[in-house]
Amino acid sequence: MTTDSLSLENSKPNALIPISRQTRAGFVVVFLTLLVAFLISRQNGEVAAVWMLATAFGLTLQRARFCFASAFRDLFLFGSGHNMKGIIVGMGIATIGFAAIMHWIVPNPGSGTLPAEAHILPVGLSVVVGGLLFGVGMVIAGGCVSGSLYRMAEGYIASWVAIVGVIIGLGALTLTWNWWWNFTISTEPKVWFPNVANLGYTGAIVITLLGLVAIYLLVTFMELKNGLFMPHINKKIAPAINFDERVRATIDPVFKRGWPIAIGGVVLGIIGIVMYTVHMPLGVTGELMRASQLGLGWAGVDVPTLDGLSTLGGCTGRSGEPGLLGHTFAITVGLLPGALIGALFAGEFKIRLPKKKRRYFQSITGGVMMGYASGLAIGCTIGAFFSAVPSLSLSGWVFGLAMAAGAFTGTQVIKRIG
Amino acid sequence: MADEQIPVLDVRGEICPYPMLKTNEMLDGDQKGVLILDVLTDHPPALSTVPPQAMKRGYEVEIDELGAGEWRMRLTKI
Repeated sequence: MTTDSLSLENSKPNALIPISRQTRAGFVVVFLTLLVAFLISRQNGEVAAVWMLATAFGLTLQRARFCFASAFRDLFLFGSGHNMKGIIVGMGIATIGFAAIMHWIVPNPGSGTLPAEAHILPVGLSVVVGGLLFGVGMVIAGGCVSGSLYRMAEGYIASWVAIVGVIIGLGALTLTWNWWWNFTISTEPKVWFPNVANLGYTGAIVITLLGLVAIYLLVTFMELKNGLFMPHINKKIAPAINFDERVRATIDPVFKRGWPIAIGGVVLGIIGIVMYTVHMPLGVTGELMRASQLGLGWAGVDVPTLDGLSTLGGCTGRSGEPGLLGHTFAITVGLLPGALIGALFAGEFKIRLPKKKRRYFQSITGGVMMGYASGLAIGCTIGAFFSAVPSLSLSGWVFGLAMAAGAFTGTQVIKRIG
Repeated sequence: MADEQIPVLDVRGEICPYPMLKTNEMLDGDQKGVLILDVLTDHPPALSTVPPQAMKRGYEVEIDELGAGEWRMRLTKI
């Protein structure tokens, strides 16, 4: 009878924790990522910290399947607010932390001083045009800039094409920036809520959180109208009887199965707060802007001096930073091994080629639109939205609303593309 | 029931929103009222976007991992 129960246990093919090829590769990438962090830390400890935070950022995006393009698009396409709710949670958490940090930098917001490094960006035509264009672009390309970056690491070839498009778009923006600067950006105000009508930090936090709650309720209402409900999916979950299965029951929810979106939002919010204390709020387009300018120089095109950009803050404002292993490099490139580690441990890495040729065209076109727009709005869904709303900046809300309108337009386009 | 009798929608290589759009198109059009449908995907987000849409149309969903980065969602009419 003991042999019976033994053979029952041994009959399970997964009696030992299986170490797949992808898992082994994952450990190698973890080691290499730490090695790079160590090497960077020999030069600059702060950049090394940014590198590790970016890795955590990439891992979180991958594990929670955080997707800003889906957040905006699926509201209109299917009445699904799944991703949007995660983003709202993340921004709510970040708002509290950002306010504390900004209060530490600028104790008296009425003084007219803006907290350095916060993503308080100009509000005006440039943000509206940027948001609209970005919204259309991310829906056509099937992912925003951060989404395309972490999918690059997961093996999506179309995302590589999209990022090339983003770099081209940023190059086009570089060549036309001074026109935009003279036409509108130079006269656009930076509206920081704590500075407005004696709101102070308390008023600004209350307004921002109420705004987020209002959006949350609106999203829930849109879901209800579409009759969407989160189903109970049949997953074959066997009770954990032996030691290995117990261990797997702990590891799997973190490394194997996707995280609930709200958990992803909370973790991203916290990473954003820590990133701000170490350096500046999250933003990923700075390094891509730098790449586009290097590309222009390489192609023999004179890169003009960009009027006023470095005074604006935000992530593209940092693209002038010299040196290969700078802050922008650490944030943008550091995200990739994080997402790769997530994909490998979950066994989700795969080189994926679109079967339809028009998907490449969509990726490059959407990428160029996003690149141009993120230069114009001084950031993408991360820098100009996810980091701007918690900075208590009006620009984040305007960019978000414009992106929603753009995403709506984008859904009309992709429905016709098929 | 032999596997070859089950209609298959292969959306491998497609990213969001196409896996869900194509599944919906099939359940609302060509295969309307079909009792069982296998959807093949290599796009992990589709695992959380397709099931709610299928449930809405009265299907239950079972997900099986076929290999590295590939899944089969079996939709069965309740």
